[in-house]
This record gives sequence, C-alpha cells and structure tokens, in this order.
Amino acid sequence: MSVILNEVRRATYLDSIVLMRISRQIAALPGIEEAGLIIGTPANKEILRDAGILGPESDSAEPSDLILALRASDALAGEAALAEARRLIDHPSALGAAAAVESSRTMRAAIKRLPAANLALISVPGDFAVAEAHKALELGLHAMIFSDNVPLDDEAALKRKARERGLFVMGPDCGTAIIGGVPLGFANVVPQGDIGIIGASGTGIQEVSCLIARAGRGITHALGTGGRDLKAEVGAITTLMAIDALDADDRTRHIVLISKPPAESVARLVLDRVAKSAKPFTICFLGASDVALPANARAAATLKATADIVVGGSAASWAQQPLPGLGRGGLVRGLFAGGTLCSEAQIIFRQAGLAVMSNVPVPGASAIGRAQDGQVLTDHVMIDLGDDEFTRGRPHPMFEPGVRDGPLAEALADPGVGIILLDIVLGYGGHPDPAGHLAAFLGRWEHRPLIVASVTGTDADPQPRNAQVETLAAAGVIVADSNAEATEAAIAALGPSLDRA
Amino acid sequence: MLDRADVVVPILRSGVLAQDFCRRHARATVEAVFERSFYLRAGDAFICVGEPDIGNGPLTLIGHPGPLADLDLAGRPAALGGGHVLIGNSIRLSLDRSEAWRSPPWLVCPSPSRLIETCSALARRAATDAPEEGLARHVCGIGEASTHQPPLACIAGPRIATFERWLSAVLARGTPPSEDAIQGLLGLGPGLTPSGDDFLVGALALLDCVGERDAHAALGRAIIAALPGATSALSACFLRAAAAGHVGETLHRAVSSIIAGDVGAAIAAVDTIGHSSGWDMMAGITTTLRGAASTRSSSSAYV
Repeated sequence: MSVILNEVRRATYLDSIVLMRISRQIAALPGIEEAGLIIGTPANKEILRDAGILGPESDSAEPSDLILALRASDALAGEAALAEARRLIDHPSALGAAAAVESSRTMRAAIKRLPAANLALISVPGDFAVAEAHKALELGLHAMIFSDNVPLDDEAALKRKARERGLFVMGPDCGTAIIGGVPLGFANVVPQGDIGIIGASGTGIQEVSCLIARAGRGITHALGTGGRDLKAEVGAITTLMAIDALDADDRTRHIVLISKPPAESVARLVLDRVAKSAKPFTICFLGASDVALPANARAAATLKATADIVVGGSAASWAQQPLPGLGRGGLVRGLFAGGTLCSEAQIIFRQAGLAVMSNVPVPGASAIGRAQDGQVLTDHVMIDLGDDEFTRGRPHPMFEPGVRDGPLAEALADPGVGIILLDIVLGYGGHPDPAGHLAAFLGRWEHRPLIVASVTGTDADPQPRNAQVETLAAAGVIVADSNAEATEAAIAALGPSLDRA
Repeated sequence: MLDRADVVVPILRSGVLAQDFCRRHARATVEAVFERSFYLRAGDAFICVGEPDIGNGPLTLIGHPGPLADLDLAGRPAALGGGHVLIGNSIRLSLDRSEAWRSPPWLVCPSPSRLIETCSALARRAATDAPEEGLARHVCGIGEASTHQPPLACIAGPRIATFERWLSAVLARGTPPSEDAIQGLLGLGPGLTPSGDDFLVGALALLDCVGERDAHAALGRAIIAALPGATSALSACFLRAAAAGHVGETLHRAVSSIIAGDVGAAIAAVDTIGHSSGWDMMAGITTTLRGAASTRSSSSAYV
C-alpha cells in the first residue's frame, strides 16, 4: 500500500537547477510514485494537495521553507528516498558527478551542463535534423550533422547561415570527423601529425587517415563536409571554409581533399582557392578525369593513391601473394559497408578496363536495379550496403555486420561468382567484432569462392586491426592492406583475358 | 575590523538597489550560498553577490569572489558600512570603485502585429525548448494537448486565464477590477523563485517596456498588496524590484529582443536564467504581450 511522506527543511535555499535535479533524482528512485521538492508557499501546498502527496508535517511550512513530499509504494522505499533526499539537500555537490554523464533532453540543456562546448553532433531522423542544426548555430555551435535525408535547399541555407556566423556545418550525412585528435562519429584512432583532411565521404576519410597512420604519419584534423557540399546548389561552402581553416593552421603542412567529382563551377571555386594556398594539396575527386589542378596540387585517382602521395611512398606495404586460381565462375561480387570504398573498387575496375555494375555507380559503371527486382547479375558487381535501399529502417552495416549476411549468402551460393570482395571498417562507432561475425558466418559454408577483404583501421582502434586481420585470416579470408589492393588482387586473380570492357 | 579579512573582493558593478541595501543596513546574514553566488539578507531584503557570468541586476553585486565552497560563508554575519561588506573574518567586499548599474532604457516598441508574430514564434519554440517544469509549455498550449497534465499546469491554467482577464480590464479601463488575479500566481510552482513569481516579473517587465505605465503600476500595486505570506522573502525582493521598474540585464535583453523581433536572441537570453525561471518570465511576457497588443492595436503607444 502506498505511503505519503513529507519532510520540511526550515529556511533552506537551493538554486533552481539543484532543486529540479534532486526532485527528478528522487522521483526516479525505486518504489517512488510521485515526488516534489518545492518551497512551502500556500500555492505550492495546493499543488501538493492536488497531487495527493501533501502530509500533515507540511501544514506549518512557511514560504521560505523547503517541502519534500513523496508517495512511495511502501514505507521502506519512501524512507530510503527521504534519506537520499536529505543527503543531496545537505550536499548538493554530490549531484555533480552524476551531472557529467547525465544526458540532456535539449541542446540548450546540454549547453547549460557543458558551457564550453563549441560543437553539436546531430544524429536524429533527417526530418528533425534541420531544426536541431539551426538551434546549434543560434547557440554559437559548429554543427556536425550525422543525419541524412536532409533536403538540399535546407543544407545550403544552413551552410550559408553558418558561414555568416563563422561556424562550420559538417554534413548532412557526415559520418566521420577528427577534430584536434577527438574522433566524432565513425572514426579511427590515428596519431596526430601534420596532414589535414577534408572529406565529403566518411569511409574515404577513414581509409586515408588509417593508411597515413599505418605509414607512421599523423593528421591534424579531418573535417567532413557531407556528400553534397560540392554540388552547385551548396557551392562548396564547408569545403572552402575547411580549406581556409587548415590553410591558417600552422600545424597542418599538407592538405588532402577527398570527394566525388564536383560540379564544374564548384570545382573552379575550390581549385582557385587551393591555388591561393602556399601549402601542397592532394586532391582525390573519385571518378573524375582530366581535372586541371593548380601547381600546388596533385591528383590522386584512388584513396590508396592519395595516401601514397601524402606520405611520399607506399602508404601500406602489403606483400601481395598470388591468389589461388578460381574454383568457380569468373565474376567478382563486392559487398561494401563503406560507400566510398565501393566507389574506389569500381574505379579500379574501370581503370583495368573491366565492366562493372553497382547500385551506386561511378562514371563509367552501370546501374543495377534494386535487390528485390530479381535482376540477373552477369557482370562484376559492387554493392554499397550502406545505401538507403539496405539501411532504411535498419542499422548501417558498419555497426551491424548482419546487414551483409543476406547479400553475402546470395553471392556465396551464386556459381557465377568466383571472388567476393569485402571491406571491414573499424573504429569508434563500429561493431565491436565485425571480423568475428564474418568468420562465424563464413564457417557455415563448405564450398565457397575466394574471399578477399580489406580492413580499414589501426591497431589502436577499439577493435585492434591486427586482431581483426588474424581472425579473418584464420577463417580463410585473404586480407589486403587497403581496399585498393584488395580490389587489384581480385582483378589479378581473374586473369588477363576475362571480360575486358 | 575591516582589515581582518582574508580575502578582499573588489566589487566591479553594483545594482542600484544593492547599493541602497548596503547604505541602509549595518548588519546582514549570508542566507544562501550557491555555486556561483551567495545571498545576503537583512530583514526581508536580499542582495546577491556573484561572478560576472550571473549577469548584472538591480539587486546584484558583481565581483570575483572565487570558489565559494571554500569560504564557508553560509550563516555568517556581515557588517556593512563605509563602502565595504565584511563577512565574518573571511571576506571583504569593497564597493569603493564599483560602477553603479541600472537597467538601460527600453527600445521603442514596434507595431502590435509584429509583436503578435514574434509572440507566436516564441510560443512555438517554448513548446519544444522550455523545461518540463515551470509554466512556459503550459502557457504555449502544450498542457492542453496532453491527456495527463502535471499538477502545476492544472492549477496554473485557470489562474493565468484569470490574470489575462484582469489585465485586459486594466488595459481597457485603466483601473483594476476588484477581482484578485494575482494571489493565485504568487508562490506557485518549483524553483528558488517560484514559476508564478517569475511569470509576474516577466509581465511587469513587458508592461514597462511597452509604456503601459498605468497597467504596470496597477500590477505592481496588486503584487505588493498580495505579497505577505504568499511567497518566499527572497522571491518577493525580485517582485518588489520589478514593480519599481528594475529588472536584471538578462531579462531586459530578452524583452528587448522580443520587441526587436529577434526570437533567437530572446530564447538565448531566457534560457540562461535559472532552470525554468527565464522561461516562466517569458510566459509572463508573451501572455502580457498578447493582451497589450490586442487591446492597444490602434494605440499611439506603439510606433
């Protein structure tokens, strides 16, 4: 049976935030059905009376007194809550430790808890992301918008507003950033160094930063722009601001720019800005050809080539072993968690003169229909499993590797597929053991094609890369040092005469 | 006696009512100590001493007292005089070089239609941004949409409606009706300064800003008449100050931003006042603004 307990603290003053937090904390204790901590004015006694928690002890309370009133499921729970309330009222600093990890329901509340914060990471359904980003900008915060499905007009408006205020909007659909060594979203543990990265692609940033790290170098910052920043409608607002920032940053000595091919007018804007810098740039417009670059910039066709140029040699040193001959059909099926890794693989196929299809085709590749359309796949196929088709209402394969199981089972069962190309992406935000999941899944298949994989990550990641590689190797997966090398190995295994387009 | 203090804190700015407090009282007591500020009490009068980030106010002394937890101030007596406040033997506040602070003049008020648009925009923001505690969400209609209203909203709703009727009558006729519309809001709700008190402070600030002097005076009189026993002595101090036309700089900024049509700045300002106090003030501002705008749509009080 419920019990009502009241306690009056004479002439006790606590500030409003402390009162609210004690009140919430007590109300959340086991067995507490209702609780209030308010000053003993006549009006507040009415509130407590209406709520059915005013006890006779509070009749004599004065407006400068504090009333703690609660209803508990039993006396034991009620007395325990009263004791906790006494402790917190007498030592409100005890609330401090909890505050550090307490979540906030609004951005403003979060700013109150952490007034020095200068960046908001927004990960809400796209319909709501715009409003949250506006709030962040109005609070003077840079915004990293992890969310996708934000209308292009809204993106452009947000970025214009941010630029007017001297703030960055990274995104929408910005999965990765590393600011001053602090990883945001999906990001890896890479050492600090002298290379700055600007990327329209999350996995592009991850792959390049990890290759740089594994070559013994480090980065200053990795700034994500979102995949559409170089569209004409947006006008490269964030990219240009990022170039300005890294150009002005004394610690950054080399700047990397990674993106899909930009609109022509935007490319001119960006490259004109690059030309004004005294720093060397490496520019990877994945899938672009014949881009005239200024003298201080070098073009890289792939992520691997980007890292190689930046570190002045081969960023990774995979001693590629000749792959065993194909035991079955001569097609490659790539199943990628990273969209840019999927693009890079297609580009390498095209560079090798091979026809390739994809659900996210690069220039020169063919489009395939949706998975459920039942299209017969007769070419090499690279599928981005992070595309909306696979992730609408489901987790992204980078933190739920099971998303790949269905397409992988299909490829394993397809007699035309001789090689399966996979990526494993590690780091913060990723699945704790993607290699373990893959190894367990493959263990169910006795006869299977060659499986070649890359592992984007570092040994310092939460899922150490070396351990993930060992797990894959033990499962019979051939692991390359980079996505580009995995793709090249797959192509090499096809032999010289297969399916040249 | 003054030389025995361990810590001397120069007061940088002193609110006009705080200066008056220091002149009028020889003794006071440290009544409350918070993280960034503490309150001195003499009789029913309070002043606040704190770091610059608490904002200037009519009842505030601004300086750099440092970490207050280390000073063990709670309950200590204070001696006032000669431009100094000596608290125990530990801290001396020196007002010798302090700059007097009073709230600046209000901006000229724009047209009522602009005010109504701003009011609606504020209501939309309050619906999502205001704390669950307090009045702002209820005043903005969220409480009506809810199937389960919290006890505060159930009680406050009719009382705010009564206040609105009272205000309309005052604005229309210039003299207050007999109905007591203030008592029910005083001391109502959570917080060091209850939500209802903050609501009334916001209402007073708005009436002062838009030049409704008679209504401001009527509301001030009604509040002061109803104060005894209705709310805490500390909160009553802020109400008396607002009734005399004195508000803190953050509230002043919020009201000025509303008048200027800058919803974002208004929200940013109210959001820094206490937990729900700023939002409760905004509830009072917008409620009063609606009343003033609808009653005075053709008045020359607005330009």
